[in-house]
Amino acid sequence: MAAREQLPPRPGSALDELRAALDRAAALAREIESRPEGAGELKSRLADVESDREELSTKLAEYEHQVQRLMNLYVATYQLHATLDPGEVQATIAEIAINLLGAERFVLLFWRTSADGTRSGDCEIAFAQGMEEDQSGLYLNSAYVGGDSVVDATLADGVLRIGPFDGSPALACVPLTVQGATVGALVILKLFDHKEMLRAEDRDLLDLIAAHAASALFAARDYSVTDRKLKTLESLVALVRRQ
Amino acid sequence: MKPKKVLVVDDSKLLHRMFEMMLRGFPLVHAFDGREALDRLAEHKDIELILLDINMPRMNGLEFLNAVKAHPEFARIPVVIITTEGTEDDTERGMQAGAAAYVKKPFRNEELLGVINRLTASPAA
Repeated sequence: MAAREQLPPRPGSALDELRAALDRAAALAREIESRPEGAGELKSRLADVESDREELSTKLAEYEHQVQRLMNLYVATYQLHATLDPGEVQATIAEIAINLLGAERFVLLFWRTSADGTRSGDCEIAFAQGMEEDQSGLYLNSAYVGGDSVVDATLADGVLRIGPFDGSPALACVPLTVQGATVGALVILKLFDHKEMLRAEDRDLLDLIAAHAASALFAARDYSVTDRKLKTLESLVALVRRQ
Repeated sequence: MKPKKVLVVDDSKLLHRMFEMMLRGFPLVHAFDGREALDRLAEHKDIELILLDINMPRMNGLEFLNAVKAHPEFARIPVVIITTEGTEDDTERGMQAGAAAYVKKPFRNEELLGVINRLTASPAA
């Protein structure tokens, strides 16, 4: 009785079911046959994803590189203009050269000027680092004696030069400009051994030094002179009032 | 895991500013030489990482490192030497004195952050 109840409701329906089952089997077979192609498609998509990942990874590295460049520039600019003490500005220029550019030996040169502001002829060394081992003979008695074609050219035309150069110990010569006039130069003579050469991004920092270092230093010097005069006047006024 | 506080010991104001920019989100304590750094360590008991320069006035980085490693309370704090002294001898001297890592200036941000992440993720740190 139970078996009868399980019979299809009409004779043809069993065939229909069998046909449907065969159709499903055929469809499954086709699906199985198509699987290698599916795997191929998946592999292709995986390759695309891998390629995208690599591209993103490269872009991320570029992005980090840009962030570093901008951070260096921001910090250097900020620190150059963060003080009105000429000594501190000078120290900041040295810190940029050492810590951000990797300079082991360098000199900061400024044209000597007379009281009326005109050049007196030679360049004084305002700051020097690692010059004890310098054998060039170009930097003596706190002055640049002249004769390095790269340094002479930069002091004359105010153009940033990045070497190395034939016939000059300088690796880079950075003009220091104030209102378009070249007032000195930063001459990098040696990098730390673990820094093989100046890189493309270092040029941004050298440009920044060229544009900002001298103006920051001159502003600080002017402030310092003015402040000293003001204090002298104030003490004179106080003295007169007491009398 | 992010360190509670990071002590930056360097005589360069520029570098202190750089660390402030680079390590945003890390509470920093600043010192400009080794002696001042020892004072800061005594004041801030929750310092968990030290970034240390070598060439400094009054007390240099190696003297400070020796003092830290000899102090039972501070000896466990990992120290990263960050310096321009880049020879193998310099590196070996620093590591023998107890530094956890040695980074040469000028450094790339990701290089230093990688070192900090490695040290602060390590159970030994």
